[in-house]
Amino acid sequence: MQSDDALKSASTPLAGIRVLEHCQSVAGAYAGRLLAALGAEVIMLESPTGCPLRFAPPWFDDSGESALFAYLAVGKQSVVADLHTDQGRQIMAAQLGHCDIFLDDTPVRQRALLGLDREDLSKRFPQLVHVSILPFGAVGPKADWVAEEMNLLHAAGEGYLLPNGLSNEMFPDRAPLKIHGHFAGYQGGATAALAAMTALWTVPATGGQYVDVSVQDAMLLVGAFAVQRLGDGSVEHRATRKFRYGGVFKTKDGYIELLTLEDRQWNSLVELLGRPAWALEPALNDPLERSRRGDEINAHIRAWMVLHNAEDIVREAQKLGVPVGKYRTPLEVTQGEHERDRGLFVEAIRENGSPFEVLLAPFKFLCSPLMGGGKVPALGEMTKEFRV
Amino acid sequence: MTVLKAPLAGVRIADFTIHAAGPLSTHLLSQFGAECIKIESKTRPDAFRKPHAVYGRMSAATFDQVTANKLSVRLNLKHPEAIEIAKKIVSISNVAAESFRPGVAQRLGLGFEVLRECRPDIVMLSLSSCGQSGPDSHFAGYAPLFGAWGGLGWMSGYSDGPPVEMRHAMDHSAGLHAAMATMAGLHQQRRTGQPQHIDLAAREVASAMIGEALVQAQAGIEPQRVGNGDLRMSPHGVYLTDQPDRWITLAISNDQQWADFQKIVGHRCDDTRVSNAEGRLIHRAQVDQMVSEWVRPQNADQLAMRLQEKGIPAHVSWSTQDLAADRHLQERKALQWVSAPGIPERLAVGSPACFSSSPDVGIRRLTPELGQDEEYVFGQLLGMSSAHQAELVSREVIW
Repeated sequence: MQSDDALKSASTPLAGIRVLEHCQSVAGAYAGRLLAALGAEVIMLESPTGCPLRFAPPWFDDSGESALFAYLAVGKQSVVADLHTDQGRQIMAAQLGHCDIFLDDTPVRQRALLGLDREDLSKRFPQLVHVSILPFGAVGPKADWVAEEMNLLHAAGEGYLLPNGLSNEMFPDRAPLKIHGHFAGYQGGATAALAAMTALWTVPATGGQYVDVSVQDAMLLVGAFAVQRLGDGSVEHRATRKFRYGGVFKTKDGYIELLTLEDRQWNSLVELLGRPAWALEPALNDPLERSRRGDEINAHIRAWMVLHNAEDIVREAQKLGVPVGKYRTPLEVTQGEHERDRGLFVEAIRENGSPFEVLLAPFKFLCSPLMGGGKVPALGEMTKEFRV
Repeated sequence: MTVLKAPLAGVRIADFTIHAAGPLSTHLLSQFGAECIKIESKTRPDAFRKPHAVYGRMSAATFDQVTANKLSVRLNLKHPEAIEIAKKIVSISNVAAESFRPGVAQRLGLGFEVLRECRPDIVMLSLSSCGQSGPDSHFAGYAPLFGAWGGLGWMSGYSDGPPVEMRHAMDHSAGLHAAMATMAGLHQQRRTGQPQHIDLAAREVASAMIGEALVQAQAGIEPQRVGNGDLRMSPHGVYLTDQPDRWITLAISNDQQWADFQKIVGHRCDDTRVSNAEGRLIHRAQVDQMVSEWVRPQNADQLAMRLQEKGIPAHVSWSTQDLAADRHLQERKALQWVSAPGIPERLAVGSPACFSSSPDVGIRRLTPELGQDEEYVFGQLLGMSSAHQAELVSREVIW
């Protein structure tokens, strides 16, 4: 709650905000994770068998602990309540009485049975921001549809458009390709965290409210460009959604991405390539001509790229102002000098007690740095303290 | 210009962002009711107002969606008097947002230390490729580079193919995270009365999208690119149906779903090696082959409906035309019909959240003409007379 004067000087953005998270999906857990990183106190309300994400791949090899859960649950607390029982529902109610935000991804048709009905909660906790996070949202003809990440990426249109560029050129007949991991789920989670804080903004004036977030809608938002293109009269397709020149290039020791939007960047690219005769042809000063002859240009660039190391290309390109980046492996990201300098990773404690490093948050608050760290909660570690 | 019953009614944003990621962040807050003043100039319009041939077309890129709802004023930020006016706009705003390359806002005279003088509790959002600090902070980049740097590109792709290039979804994911962080900054502003400077690096958003793989890498495990595969579910993938380029996505996680799926497609596999989830994972290639053959003669839409009736996660791989025709998205107002004088009715992406007691969210007006709202912003909000404005136009300060 926000009434304590001491909070005025507290340093984290969401100091004093309490969140109860009753979620099984990546979207719900990521929403809670973002709020925790921002300083909210986040309590996972788990069934006696635990949140399924505790067992979700990928795992730490040595223990069977979930690396995904470690990433999503670090810094949270855990309390166990069986919502099929009166006692469980009392534990939940006691928590909700002290919470600002409730995150729930229970399918709508199961809510009444578990004491999670929207109207009922609104009456009992009028100041509560109740956020529903479901694959297709809580209302609409498909509200009861079920979906995993794979289905949602394609239900929002982005799946159909991937892969574009080199992968599509190499394997034009293969099925469309998923983005790694839980991209759609993460958009749903970020949207839910944003919507929760947005609704919380109005609590002093209008009290709590119910917020309906759909992962499909969130993924559609980040894929909005395809909808705009449709309005402009053209339909995107993975086979044609490619840069006319530039894109993914194989180098001597890996892959790089190259993209030149501006004339000056093209001119710098010509410098990077050593001013070869083909690139100096006056016709190529015209961006439209370059667009028309993209395949020819890419063939030249590919021939050059495979002769050079990725790190060397990036260093020289960035000196000249050519937008080039190396496709980095996860290990390279974790060891990156840039990431280390910016403090992207913090040390935390796994459920088994051993330390590990985890990405804190993809943003920095420069006037009052985020704290991060903490531990991955054991199932029900706080249940005794919270017993009613 | 107060918006009734929108959750962020009364919040004002001075918006200096350009391209896609930054503008999406402020656009999203404007969908929730914030008043967003977009500051550009005729000499340096948002680069996304103009076309880039590298995309293979000569029309402007993402400008319309992310500029909807915004008010537009012209300020020639190379002119010291324009900077003073920009600072006045900041002084009456809760948020100042920019997405210049690191260092540019300071050079213009609009750095955080200056803006906090104008507005002591300002929340400043600086969104960039690589962040405001660190050895790569000067690197220029676009969405595909964010994905490359951050590791998401490497992890995405066919297991026997190259990494995959991220497109606008990457930009907009950075924008979504930026809006979320900004909202947290607003709460801190209201609670403490102190200023805040938020530094969002788009490449770090790409890294956050592989957070679990980074945990593994730190623990000495080398995460693998798995394409359409999954470590828990089989069958799990995208399968061709009876029409060209018409695919269905399936994600089957337990034996009941597998039994129901077989009934619905009218086939039964007697191979005991794949009768349980563990066996199907071990023999996923054979399972994929078998499922591909079963699904191939089916109608994708009908099959998805029948599978959903049994609670099996399935959905057609939708093209943008499929999205446009969807009743569910339109009922939710996630897709919204918009039009304006001279702009025929078209679909745009609306609010990704519905609020029960502050429902007036979404797109209220379309892309502003450059400088269209100067009378309101310069006149009503800043109290400048029309004559003064005209004089500033004549000297190319308002330009």
